[in-house]
Amino acid sequence: MKDLPVADPGEPDHRNATRYLIWLARTQAATLAGGVAFGIAWMAAPAFMPAVIGRAVDAIAAGDQGDLSEATAVLIGLGCLQAVAGIMRHRFAVTNWLSAAYRTVQVTVRHATRLGATLTQRVAAGEVVAIGTSDIGQLGNAMDVTARAAGAIFAIVVVTVLLLSVSLPLGLVVVVGVPVLMGIVAVLLRPLHRRSQEYRELTGDLTNRAGDIVAGLRVLRGVGGESVFAARYRERSQEVRAAGVNVARVDSVLKAAQILVPGLFVMLVTWLGARFALDGRISVGELVAFYGYATFLIMPLRNLTEAADRLIRGHVAARRVVRLLQLTPEVTDPEQPLPMPPDGDLHDPESGVHVRAGGVTAIAADNPADAQRIADRLGRYDPDSRVLLGGVPLSKLPVAAVRERILVADNDARLFNGPLHAELGGPRDRLPGALHAASAGDVITALPKGLDTPIVERGREFSGGQQQRLRLARALQADPPVLVLVEPTSAVDAHTEARIAARLAGHRRGRTTVICTTSPLLLDRADYVVHVVSGRAAAEGRHRELLERSPAYRATVGRQP
Amino acid sequence: MLPVADAPSVRRYARELLARYPGRLATALGLHALAAASGLAAPRLLGELVQGVHTGTTGWTVDRIAIAIAFFVVVQAVLVNLATYASARLGERVLAELREEFVERVLALPLSTVERAGSGDLITRSSRDVAALSNSVRYAVPEILIAAVTVVLTVAGLIAVAPLLALLSVVSLPVLVLGTRWYLRRAPAGYLRENAAYTDLMDGLAETVEGARTVEALRTAGRRQARTKVDLRRSYRTERYTLYLRTVWFPVADLAYLLPTVATLLAGGWMYLAGWVTLGQVTAGTLYVQQLVDPLDRFLSWLDELQVGGASLARILGVAHVPDDRVPVPEKPVGRQLAACGVRYSYVDGRDVLHGIDLVVRPGERLAVVGPSGAGKSTLGRLLAGVAPPRVGSVAVGGVPLVGLPLPELRGSVALVTQEHHVFAGTLRDNVSLARPDANAVQIRAALRAVDALRWVEALPQGLDTVVGSGGRQLSPAQAQQVALARLVLADPHTLVLDEATSLIDPRAARHLERSLAAVLHGRTVIAIAHRLFSAHDADRVAVVIDGHITELGSHDDLVAAGGAYADLWRSWQADLPRQGVQDGEEDHHGKGHAKGHDQWARVRGGLVSG
Repeated sequence: MKDLPVADPGEPDHRNATRYLIWLARTQAATLAGGVAFGIAWMAAPAFMPAVIGRAVDAIAAGDQGDLSEATAVLIGLGCLQAVAGIMRHRFAVTNWLSAAYRTVQVTVRHATRLGATLTQRVAAGEVVAIGTSDIGQLGNAMDVTARAAGAIFAIVVVTVLLLSVSLPLGLVVVVGVPVLMGIVAVLLRPLHRRSQEYRELTGDLTNRAGDIVAGLRVLRGVGGESVFAARYRERSQEVRAAGVNVARVDSVLKAAQILVPGLFVMLVTWLGARFALDGRISVGELVAFYGYATFLIMPLRNLTEAADRLIRGHVAARRVVRLLQLTPEVTDPEQPLPMPPDGDLHDPESGVHVRAGGVTAIAADNPADAQRIADRLGRYDPDSRVLLGGVPLSKLPVAAVRERILVADNDARLFNGPLHAELGGPRDRLPGALHAASAGDVITALPKGLDTPIVERGREFSGGQQQRLRLARALQADPPVLVLVEPTSAVDAHTEARIAARLAGHRRGRTTVICTTSPLLLDRADYVVHVVSGRAAAEGRHRELLERSPAYRATVGRQP
Repeated sequence: MLPVADAPSVRRYARELLARYPGRLATALGLHALAAASGLAAPRLLGELVQGVHTGTTGWTVDRIAIAIAFFVVVQAVLVNLATYASARLGERVLAELREEFVERVLALPLSTVERAGSGDLITRSSRDVAALSNSVRYAVPEILIAAVTVVLTVAGLIAVAPLLALLSVVSLPVLVLGTRWYLRRAPAGYLRENAAYTDLMDGLAETVEGARTVEALRTAGRRQARTKVDLRRSYRTERYTLYLRTVWFPVADLAYLLPTVATLLAGGWMYLAGWVTLGQVTAGTLYVQQLVDPLDRFLSWLDELQVGGASLARILGVAHVPDDRVPVPEKPVGRQLAACGVRYSYVDGRDVLHGIDLVVRPGERLAVVGPSGAGKSTLGRLLAGVAPPRVGSVAVGGVPLVGLPLPELRGSVALVTQEHHVFAGTLRDNVSLARPDANAVQIRAALRAVDALRWVEALPQGLDTVVGSGGRQLSPAQAQQVALARLVLADPHTLVLDEATSLIDPRAARHLERSLAAVLHGRTVIAIAHRLFSAHDADRVAVVIDGHITELGSHDDLVAAGGAYADLWRSWQADLPRQGVQDGEEDHHGKGHAKGHDQWARVRGGLVSG
């Protein structure tokens, strides 16, 4: 069996959904072929069984022990073939399913990381997550079903040939009857799908509602409102129930049709067969075989309708994957990148903010959104950023090099699951220093396993202030030449804020640091403060100077009662 | 972790559940039995056909038998239709009851459990376990029941046609039982691991997508891809394990299904030659034995699903097993004075986070609680709100312990708002009127105005009827906190505990909000835990909590005048001149450096080496 996942998923063909499916199939052509081969063997064995059983019945009728033993021996052989081919077919099918699903996960994740900040701006996260929760399964199903589909087609052909060779009219009945049966089932499947879809949506909604209750349980248990929520949930639950009954109404018709249509077909074949047998045109055993064929054909038929359905769904899923893969990052590399300047001041012409290399510059904006915008320009997250680094426009530098040089750490940054020390990153011997500077040491010591404690649920078990300090520690651990911090202490208490303010500059010594903040504690520790009013640098100087000479600055940063 | 129900109570519950609708259950099962019985006609009629053709008969007899086959096919189809519908209706009803009961149990969880337990476990139970159970009730249970009925009836049909041949159908039973037992012992755990690995994979994907900007900023794309690969590898391992189980079990089952057919044919041949059975009997017997395969296979392959469903049911029922921690006492509070006396509390045995807190909050007073994080402020807030009982000591309102008050009464007296800002899926109106569903628009608006939220609410296209929360309009964390506060204003308890309830709001906006809130809450007792010292400055009294003790208590002015830790804190928070050492003295070095002016920063930096 293949070893999964593959080391390199390769570059997908994302021109359209069909091409993506073909690309996927190509990458796993060998296992698909294996699946098809065993699928054919697996379906062929039972296709020949009615003939063998018929021969056995004929042998019994003729009293021929030898023929009977031979027929049963063949039957055992076919049974063994079916069992072996069946499990091999299954193993290949599972491999095909997993190969397609895993490869799609790999290219999705890789593309998501290539898109970076662009991703969240351009598509709803739910859209991409849906690729994981449903689409990869559909793609897997489409690949997995090929083995059975091939077997089904083969079996139908075999049975038709066998029937035609025994009796032309009976064979024709089957040849014509099979597509008709498929058509009838397909017609019935459509309303079932529609109602099932509606049911799934309602169920999804209900699950979200339960999740909503659980997530807000503290609030609910704190101030009340349980009865309202219980009633609302019950209402929705009853809607789901009604939708479920609605599905059952169609489903029960389908189930009946699945008995009725093939049943009548079997009856027709048997009746004709009996008539022919009575006329001596076929033997008793052949009559039994006809009955066997007619009942057997139901299975490949079902497989074939399922295959068609799965391929259609796989195509829909591929469309969504392709939509993601077609996105390109908003911030792109210049065609002729300039060499990275060794060091230098940062200058944002749009706001007039100037950041000196090697020091701590604070940006105090009267509107916090302006500070965030400046930070986005300084880090070149804004595609229109005209920021200069040492006189060179950031837009003329490779994006990767800019990211390496400048780190923008804001409060929307998220903590990822995994051991804390891995999430904080950087060399472990420098961790204590970063944790100290971020005043996050106590967060770690309170944990049962310290730095080895896993972060779960994006760090929700930490308080807002603790999360903020961990994010700060992580940014410090990254140790970029230029660090842009956006409101790094907005959620911490006064003691902690004072500690961070006192330690931050020391920790960043010799490297460029920009802090967007209105905290007097942080501002007082900055080497240089730029007061931004309505998005433009209005005044600059040291915190204390600005406090003295600018009433507007006092209004922005003042904490006076 | 929340408890899980044990096997006997799960079985008892399942029995009770089935017994709730004896009539419907009997109808569904009866219809399925009749449908299965009519499915037995065809092989038998075919046997007659074969017998007739073999021994010679008329065309009319053949036609009659064919018509009979058609008749039974139609009857079976109608019965299957009715039976499927009846059992699905029953299934949906039972399922709805199960999930509704679960949600009611969740909503009745004790406050302390809710506060302490992470939501992860409960979310898993409400989504994955409910889904697994739903799968069981919708598919596994009916399939297994139908298959069982069909197997029994087919065997009965076989016995009726050819009792001797029927004996042969049991030849493969031991193999089948042993193989299936081997499989079922391992399968559920294997599939659970498989699902868990898959969930991890999906969580990882969701993280990468939602945190794409962070990944780009920290240049951790390689780590995300490596994590994906690790998740995929783990998922693959679990998939391979269950595949191995099936690789053993499927062929065993396949061969076990084949054996009876072969045995019936062989033995049938000999018996026919010996004159014990007719050709028709051999034919019908063989077809019956073949017809056993499908229901038998379905019966066995749904068993593992049923096991998974049973495990989910155990976790769902387990929620009801959390003991209640509130023991209502008959006394009624006299007055509204909130008093904590000798309060100690620990999350982990032997590690108290509060060391004997004594605090009397006067009715109508505004008390600010400040202190470094981890000092026990939030724990104190929870105890003062009656969420959990103290380990030692008491917290009482009007002389009655808070945990002795019945829940509705407690909520009318003391309410807690934390910085956790969940917005429920629904309209803004629903979100605000949570505790007072009967509140009218005027009251809701007044509450929103009190928290400075009315302006943005009215700017929304649908105003109060805007759908917010998951799936609706996303509120900013600051707006969510305003909604939480408005909710509390509307609930109007006489004492409010606000734990960092405005921490996510812009500092200047927060101050404005707090002042407007104070005006509305005039006369109410407010305990505000805050990291912004505005709250302390505006409060009547300030309690400084350090290391689980109240170290200072008094008005802002008194404490500033006293020159203790609070005074230091206040000055440092304002970054007032002259600077005072705040924590560990290292600040003093910086202080000197700063006075030198910005053009000196290079030298200051050099001076910081010592700090």
